[in-house]
Amino acid sequence: MEEAKAYIETGILELYVLGQLTVIEQQEVEEMAAEYPIIREEITAIEIAMEKYAVFHAITPTSGLEKKIFEKIIPSNINHSTENSPKIVPLHSDHSASTIRTLRFALVACAGLLILSFVALYAMNDKLGLANEQIVSLTNDKEKFASNATYMKDANKDLQEIAAITDDPTWTVVKLGGTTIAPKAKLRVFWHKSGQHVMVDNTRMSLPENDSKHQYQLWAIVKGKPVDLGVFDADTQPAKLLLAMKEVGDAQAFAVTLEKRGGSATPTMEKMIVQGAVSI
Amino acid sequence: MAPTKKISLTEEDLVRALKGKETIAIQALYDMYSGALLGVISRIIQQPEVAEDLLQETFIKIWNSADSYDSTKGRLFTWMINLARNLSIDKIRSKDFRNSNKNQDIENNVDFIDSQRKITFNADTLGLRDMVTALKPEFNDVLNMVYFKGYTHVEAAEELNLPLGTVKTRIRMAIMELRKHFN
Repeated sequence: MEEAKAYIETGILELYVLGQLTVIEQQEVEEMAAEYPIIREEITAIEIAMEKYAVFHAITPTSGLEKKIFEKIIPSNINHSTENSPKIVPLHSDHSASTIRTLRFALVACAGLLILSFVALYAMNDKLGLANEQIVSLTNDKEKFASNATYMKDANKDLQEIAAITDDPTWTVVKLGGTTIAPKAKLRVFWHKSGQHVMVDNTRMSLPENDSKHQYQLWAIVKGKPVDLGVFDADTQPAKLLLAMKEVGDAQAFAVTLEKRGGSATPTMEKMIVQGAVSI
Repeated sequence: MAPTKKISLTEEDLVRALKGKETIAIQALYDMYSGALLGVISRIIQQPEVAEDLLQETFIKIWNSADSYDSTKGRLFTWMINLARNLSIDKIRSKDFRNSNKNQDIENNVDFIDSQRKITFNADTLGLRDMVTALKPEFNDVLNMVYFKGYTHVEAAEELNLPLGTVKTRIRMAIMELRKHFN
């Protein structure tokens, strides 16, 4: 009992209540209080006095504070027992709001790109059509040129052959003059007597143009009798400059008559346009 | 002072409710002790807004660490006021707080606060003000430095240039005087 009183007198219990002691000192006081009820009572008396002293110096908080504190404490309490926190909701909606905003921008951008794509596609299609037209016309041109080139090559070959024939003594050039029904008509025929070749020179041809129902027919006069050498057309722009006719080895004269298309077995004498004898 | 109904529980019920995380406990604690706690906080921290923030922090800490309160070691209020005082001292000693309050004199906190703010007088203690202020100043000053200003008793001894034993004695005498008045 004396020990307890002496302990109280040290003033350590006041410091204990004021929170001035170290953890070890606190434990010492608590052990003493557990051992001596008088020390326990003394501590409680000091606490009550300090409590009243504090209440005496109380300052009333502003009126909104209570609500603020309860809002902070009570929702966190609810969190323990129930799963849904209302705090999470605005966070989520904020997120989705910004996501929606982003998606909206993306949608507008997509629509813009789509329109742009269509415009570009239309322009490209237009150009492609134009290009296709150009390709077609170029192809046509090319074909034209190609056929032209082929024609010219052929013509050149024919011209060279004509030149060679006129220079070659083995070829006989037979000039056919116009008859009374066509005084201005004329034709040149090349004849290779030993080879039996007969060619009509289209470059020097001057015959009236025949219609689609008629054709000219070349005849060789062999021993007084006409021999068919084939038919030909008289075009202003002939496909070939040198026409190969049927072969004949012996002929005294050549003549051309206007016959029905495809030719006749015997010549229509009144339609003889040109004729010419072979001059040796 | 209180037109709305205030909750008041016995210490035992209060502790049980607090440890059981019953929200009525925090409401009762607020009704019973918010003013007393703010009184202590406000004398350590002069800015009313900061003091109220600290009061809020104190209640949150009371709520969250209720399990660590041991009723065999002392009364609930003692535990609470020590929480409030420690939070306030931590705040006043924090770098950012000191930087913004360099020129303020901690010495006259009690008088300053009391002159600036309306003090709520509890009905039980109403009329005791004269008696309390009539406490011997040399005793009371030491107690106030420790209880209201956030000094440790060692710091108070240094500040007052007194032996540590004298400081302890003066604190004890001051509290003895208080007990005479209040009990």
